[in-house]
Amino acid sequence: MIENTKCECGHQNPVDTVLCEACGKPLVEIADKELLEMRYDGVARRSQRKNPNLLDRIWGFFSSVKVAVYLIIITLCVAMLGTLYPQENTFIGLDPAQYYEENHGTLGKIYYMLGFSRTYESWWFIGLLFLLGTSLVVCSLDRVIPLYRALKRQQVRKHTQFLERQKVVYKDKLFDAHDEKVKEREMEWLEQFANILRKKFYKVQVENSALMAEKYRFSRWGPYVIHIGLIIFLVAALLRTVIPGWYMDEYISIMEGDIKQIPGTNYYLKNEKFTVEFYEQDELSPAQREEGRIIPKLFETRAVLYECVRHCDDESLEEPVLIERLRHDIRVNEPLEYDGIMAYQFDYEFTPQLRSIRVELKDHTTGESFGFFDLETDNPAESYTVGPYELTLIHYYPDFGYENGKPVTKSSKPNAPAYVFSITGPGVEDGAVHMYFPRPEDKVRFAQDRINEAAGSPFLIEAAGMEDVEFALYTTFLNIRVDKGMPLVWVGAVIGMIGLVMGTYWQHRRIWVRFDEGQLLLGAHTNKNWYGLRQEIAKALAGLDIRIDPKSLINEVKRS
Amino acid sequence: MTLQNVSNTFLVIALALYTLSFIGFVIAVAGSKWSNRDPENHKQKWGRLAFGVTVAGWLSQLVFFITRWIYAGHIPVSNMFEFMTFLGMMIMLAFIVFYLIYRKPVTGIFAVPAGIVILAYASVFPWDVQPLIPALNSHWLKIHVTLAAGGEAFFAIGFAAGLMYLLRTVDFQSNTKSARRERRGVEFTLYVVLVVVAFISLVFIFRAAGFEAVFLQEEIVETEEGETQVIEKEVRYTLPPIFKPYNSELVSMTPLYGLKGPLFETPSFFQGVGAGRKWNTFVLSTLAGLLLYGLLRLLLRKPIGAVIQPVLKDMDPDDLDEISYRSIAIGFPIFTLGALVFAMIWAHIAWSRFWGWDPKEVWALITWLFYSAYLHLRLSRGWHGKKSSWLAVIGFVIVMFTLIGVNLVIAGLHSYAGV
Amino acid sequence: MIMMKKNRRLIQVLILSTVVVITAITIAGNLFSEKDELPTEGSKAPNFALRTLDGGHHQLKDFEGHPVIINFWGTFCEPCVNEMPLIQSYYETYKDQGLVVLGINLNEAEATVRAFVREHGITFPILMDNDRIRRNYGVMYYPTTFFVGPDGVIQDIFIGELKDSTLSVRVNRLLSSNG
Repeated sequence: MIENTKCECGHQNPVDTVLCEACGKPLVEIADKELLEMRYDGVARRSQRKNPNLLDRIWGFFSSVKVAVYLIIITLCVAMLGTLYPQENTFIGLDPAQYYEENHGTLGKIYYMLGFSRTYESWWFIGLLFLLGTSLVVCSLDRVIPLYRALKRQQVRKHTQFLERQKVVYKDKLFDAHDEKVKEREMEWLEQFANILRKKFYKVQVENSALMAEKYRFSRWGPYVIHIGLIIFLVAALLRTVIPGWYMDEYISIMEGDIKQIPGTNYYLKNEKFTVEFYEQDELSPAQREEGRIIPKLFETRAVLYECVRHCDDESLEEPVLIERLRHDIRVNEPLEYDGIMAYQFDYEFTPQLRSIRVELKDHTTGESFGFFDLETDNPAESYTVGPYELTLIHYYPDFGYENGKPVTKSSKPNAPAYVFSITGPGVEDGAVHMYFPRPEDKVRFAQDRINEAAGSPFLIEAAGMEDVEFALYTTFLNIRVDKGMPLVWVGAVIGMIGLVMGTYWQHRRIWVRFDEGQLLLGAHTNKNWYGLRQEIAKALAGLDIRIDPKSLINEVKRS
Repeated sequence: MTLQNVSNTFLVIALALYTLSFIGFVIAVAGSKWSNRDPENHKQKWGRLAFGVTVAGWLSQLVFFITRWIYAGHIPVSNMFEFMTFLGMMIMLAFIVFYLIYRKPVTGIFAVPAGIVILAYASVFPWDVQPLIPALNSHWLKIHVTLAAGGEAFFAIGFAAGLMYLLRTVDFQSNTKSARRERRGVEFTLYVVLVVVAFISLVFIFRAAGFEAVFLQEEIVETEEGETQVIEKEVRYTLPPIFKPYNSELVSMTPLYGLKGPLFETPSFFQGVGAGRKWNTFVLSTLAGLLLYGLLRLLLRKPIGAVIQPVLKDMDPDDLDEISYRSIAIGFPIFTLGALVFAMIWAHIAWSRFWGWDPKEVWALITWLFYSAYLHLRLSRGWHGKKSSWLAVIGFVIVMFTLIGVNLVIAGLHSYAGV
Repeated sequence: MIMMKKNRRLIQVLILSTVVVITAITIAGNLFSEKDELPTEGSKAPNFALRTLDGGHHQLKDFEGHPVIINFWGTFCEPCVNEMPLIQSYYETYKDQGLVVLGINLNEAEATVRAFVREHGITFPILMDNDRIRRNYGVMYYPTTFFVGPDGVIQDIFIGELKDSTLSVRVNRLLSSNG
């Protein structure tokens, strides 16, 4: 059966149109005395079609707001479940299979087995987000185009039934129908009313004893702008970690004074100095003082960023040539940023370590000084000239100890450095062996003096004083990030916010008036804030000496 | 007197003024039926007076806020006390804005107590100024927290108006299934509010009495080397212990009429810091709330909702529905901006990722999803009136859980905001 | 009208298929998110160039056509020290058959390494790494030994101290693939 969709005003409407697109007359039977359903101005949604095939069905599924709300609720509930127990990524170094059972019992075990321990990375959660995104796109497309068409071609003179069934209605017998000049009076009244409304920023059209005033139509596009923003946001947020080269998340630890390459880049970072500060006692609250709490005030890495310009790859033998690009004090809340690379203060560790020491070569018996020289702990030079003597470093143990009675280094870190020199020069032409421990405790522990005595060394090596010792105290841990999708994420968020403000802080208001033989019929519609609309109309009418209570404008046809 | 004392005094004054303004609004509405006066005139006069007191209270709280900012050296929204007082201030501001639009004294009877309860809840937490930890030391603290609280304040007004709508429209005569269900729902909502009131009262009563119970709790911890070790921990209760901490012994307790010690032990599956204490407080508040509710019922001899309903007779339900909806519609973009967008920007700067599925973040998202479902249901599926009001009530429960529940139960990266 | 209908259908198909593709990419990307590709058995050994202890330099590329043993070691690591004489003896036995041994030191001071080499009589080239190559090769435990065939493909990765039996099997396999 072919449905007749032609309205009495002569307009041919699409199938399933509720209100005639032109004059607004209801096209479907509505129970008597009921208000009109004005959503989307009664136009047919695109997806509503006869004889749907599979594609139509899928499209129809996603275009339903009901489905959208269900998807929102499901996402909400799943997200909630994800916060029930800590997610796997919040603890490091524990076996998740054990963790959940040990800490949360059988429920925890079930939680883990069902995969909720990785809720937000799981394929079903991401899938859910995409279903939501699809619904976002399809719902919007399905409504925005018909709505656009409907709002673009609005007839000024609406059907009486359309006006009478608005939520805001006003009727008044203004002029006598038998008056010869009734048409002119009507037009005159409408022109005056139009001028009042224009002052309230309405766009007004007057024709054929009827008036249509409209303002802030753009607010109707708000929801669709939000959805565009959201979809950009969602896609950017989810795809940015997947696209090769867009995303990097690395942690590096740099000791004070060290330079390290940022993995996967040509950049190097130097930690010149790390500072940690704590609040003084008098800055703490009394309760904190009582509990003996220590509250950090500042974590700061004085960092220098270098870029490698030559000999940068692994196949290059030369030392990489570094150029300083940026100095920045990296603090929490103040990351370093250069060329899309961000370095964040993440953590620190107290790792006191000797870096270098200035020592003096002396005659053991007379105490006569032959001169000074510098000893590094990282990669010490292998020969030194001090006065008349030549010192050759024949052994270097950064972390001295004994293993099966033999001297070894226990690690590559200079925790207990030990230097063994062969010294040649006046009086020791064949070379004397001398061992030196910079740290006083090691001197005692490993009996430095007895070793040297036994070796017959006539020398003494001594640090001049504390000011000649260089220490590195802290290792800083930095989180290095590259996230090239972020601008797109922000663009999505900004568009979404614009749409949100458009759609919520402005209201699309329309006022229709028609005269029928001196009888005034006014109907008005808004998408929200009816209170404000009624006030506005009452005020406008008052401008033409019709004084009414704004409340009386409420259409009484349907009062529950 | 130090600036801190001055500041705190202004908060107390604000609280007192809010209470007075609440009484004023009650007189404005209830008193209009008194004989020998013109109801409209009376309502207008008292309504204006009560509103004036509200504004005075708000200004006093503003002085508290500004002075505290000055001596703390940072915006006072960095711990639970500061944040909750700020939320209370925002709720009062949202109420003032709505009162200026709609001028209904009745709204004061609901919105002002909401602000008072939040403020009273805030005052349970330590009032001390605490120095900022590095993670909070950022301009985004101001922007993120204030806007989020602003949005939530509008949700609170949406909640108050929604509850008013329900109280106004619930049928206390009819015996149909749906009417009974509605009545139960409204009564339960009022009961939950009473639980919060009971909790605050309990804390203050027992604090004034100087009550304390100390337990020694044995806890098994794992050392870094992977060995298990038993440590003993001291746990302090400031409320009477019904449930003692799991695996613990009572050490000392302030004598309390009849109560010799804890009655039960907290089950082991309550995890986390202070699980026993939190569970005990929860049970105690629920019971005290029940007691309070029972007493009220005995006193009034009918459902509390039925007592409140006549007060609302003059209110047009459609207006309430619209106030609730508009408030949420105004709050939603503010909340989105403050609690999500700016939160993401800050997280990007401070924690190197804009979104990390931290429980607080997730709950902010849940709140947002819930209110967006609310808006969709209202705009596209025509959920007005009752349905929409229930959603407004539930939505605010989610907001409060996000603000308080997450800190107490789940914690995570935002744990510094807890106590 | 007909045109519009066709367009509409096209748009619908386009949108739905875009969604499917993006979803698939994201989920796949999240499920199989692998970090930088580290060399594994069967993959080509990444080239590197390093200085030797005695001032020369070597590239892995230089030894194409030869079976190569790459041993990551340090003097502080006991099993590394233990297996050194064994590797040295294999080197001496098979170097005439083309076997190349490269000992990559784990960022130690030259003085330390030189003393060790001297004392243990190591004659195969010792390369001085500054952690870069170790990271590229994904070496987390010491010692780790890579056995690279003449075609430059990693035949085997052995983590831990090499014993005569384990080493001989691998060296034989390396040499048998040598032409």
